[in-house]
Amino acid sequence: MFETARYEGRRRLRGAAILTAGVAAYAGFIVWYFTVLEGVDYEDVFEDLPPAMLEAFGIQNLSTIEGFLGAQLFSFVWLLGLGLYFAYVAGGVVARDVETERMDLLLSFPVTRSRLLVEKFAALLVPMVAVNAFGGLIIYLLVLAIGERIAVDHLFLTHLLSVPFLLVCAGVGLAFSVAVDRAAIAERAAVGTVFVLYLVESVVGGAEGYDWIQYLSPTQYYEPTPILIDGSFEPIDSVILLVAFAGLLILSQALFERRDI
Amino acid sequence: MSGDASRSDGADRPIVVDGLTKEFGSVVANDDVSFAVNEGEVFGFLGPNGAGKSTTIRLLLGLLKPTSGTARVLGADIRDEAALTGVKRRIGYLPAHLGFADAATGEAVLDYHGAMKGEERREELLELFTPPIERPIRDYSTGNRRMLGLVQAFMHDPDLVIMDEPTAGLDPLKQEAFNEFVRAERDRGTTVFFSSHVLSEVRRVCDRVGILRGGSLVELENVDALLHRGGKHVRVHASDAAIAAITDLDGVVDPERFAEGAQFIYAGDVNALLRELAAHDVRDVEVGEPPIEDVFAHYYGSEGTAGGANATDAAWNGSSGATDAGGEAADRATDAGGEAADDDGAATDDGPGATNV
Repeated sequence: MFETARYEGRRRLRGAAILTAGVAAYAGFIVWYFTVLEGVDYEDVFEDLPPAMLEAFGIQNLSTIEGFLGAQLFSFVWLLGLGLYFAYVAGGVVARDVETERMDLLLSFPVTRSRLLVEKFAALLVPMVAVNAFGGLIIYLLVLAIGERIAVDHLFLTHLLSVPFLLVCAGVGLAFSVAVDRAAIAERAAVGTVFVLYLVESVVGGAEGYDWIQYLSPTQYYEPTPILIDGSFEPIDSVILLVAFAGLLILSQALFERRDI
Repeated sequence: MSGDASRSDGADRPIVVDGLTKEFGSVVANDDVSFAVNEGEVFGFLGPNGAGKSTTIRLLLGLLKPTSGTARVLGADIRDEAALTGVKRRIGYLPAHLGFADAATGEAVLDYHGAMKGEERREELLELFTPPIERPIRDYSTGNRRMLGLVQAFMHDPDLVIMDEPTAGLDPLKQEAFNEFVRAERDRGTTVFFSSHVLSEVRRVCDRVGILRGGSLVELENVDALLHRGGKHVRVHASDAAIAAITDLDGVVDPERFAEGAQFIYAGDVNALLRELAAHDVRDVEVGEPPIEDVFAHYYGSEGTAGGANATDAAWNGSSGATDAGGEAADRATDAGGEAADDDGAATDDGPGATNV
């Protein structure tokens, strides 16, 4: 049982460690930067910016550590960086094995295609959990180290609620991965799609008459800054993300079942 | 296994292919292919590169979906994923291209394969085939990859083994070990189905042969019949007079002159050829396997249709009676030259063979 998930998960350990280290290093820089900017009156600096921009970069209460991390770290790394990363990595999950013909061997195992797909995808939980669990712990320790305080439950929620969002991004990658034969194409298409959805939400979303379009983007349903500041979030947002993820997974399974390898 | 009466009746042979057709767009890779493989036999699936052999194999494993027709593998319909998955524990598969994860060691790959399907014969096989399992696969030579592939294909003691060009990349000694191994597996009751574009290999190990050309099965026969149809590719360097006498022999087909000598396909008694060669001052001679595409062109016509065969068949088989006795001897006499000629064959196959599909 779950041999494939275990084996593929082990192959992701190295990538997960590098990803977590990279995110931790960036978090260290942001936390240090907060101490440098202490005393600057942000509200004055940003008050002239258009509201769409403030919205896009999750700028809110920049003078507090929560607001600063929300805007500089979570809105940037989690929403955009990790979203693109998981879309990219998931894009290679099936397409790379098809391209290298490793899939021939995997499908000679006594396991159905849909099961193989789910187990291979499940291995992506290794980096996803690692970057949130260890990343969260490191961020917490960094904040303590500069003598600030941050609500543990808010930080925990921010990480926890990022998982459905990241699953959707990875789901987009998976759908491309089963649909095309070449890993590079699937990866680029997945990254491109998630990035365009991000732009759609942050840029077009504010435009009058086109505001419906922002609801297509997964970034609409995960807003780290308010969660970090006062723990506020809409449970329905996470439900929408999980439903979208389930839809993408079912679509990917259906495509994978029918395709020629 | 061979005592299992319930599976020995005609309908439940290990592989039964029935009107299998696969089209990729306008290209017909397999065109109404039908044949069956008996339990406990070595079945060779012979054809030039690009004939559609891999397509048939990939259909049998459920990697491709047939356009029409179907096949049963160990009783499971290949269109029924659940049924086919159910019997895969009893199937070993060696693909033509072994796409192992490059960063993993051979050991890690075998551990994973073992966990998925079993590994009761792993140690025994690692004594016979010796890939450096402690090293990462990216360091492997083609031959080592192939050996790792052979270990994973047989280590769960399958009832049926399907192999796509199993000896490509193996050195001659390992090839011989492989041939011996396949015969021993057959004697234990394992059914072996493998594809090849090397005539001599198929001759040495197979009980029966199916010949695929341009996506169609053109012949299904036992190996003895194929043996009699052999023919050697001969290249002689000698004086013009000697060449004239040699190419005049019975059984010489398609002689082609060049400055220093001639080359031709020889389908006659090998002893007659050797006597004739010995009677002249020969500067150099090569005797080897003819390129498979040439053989097929002679038997089945250049368009890959069985219908075109008859005209050339007569010329080719002009002295087939005489070859009967010499067949075995010829095989042995040319074994040494066989390797070089096999390479020849592979090179020429890329030409005409590749255009078939």
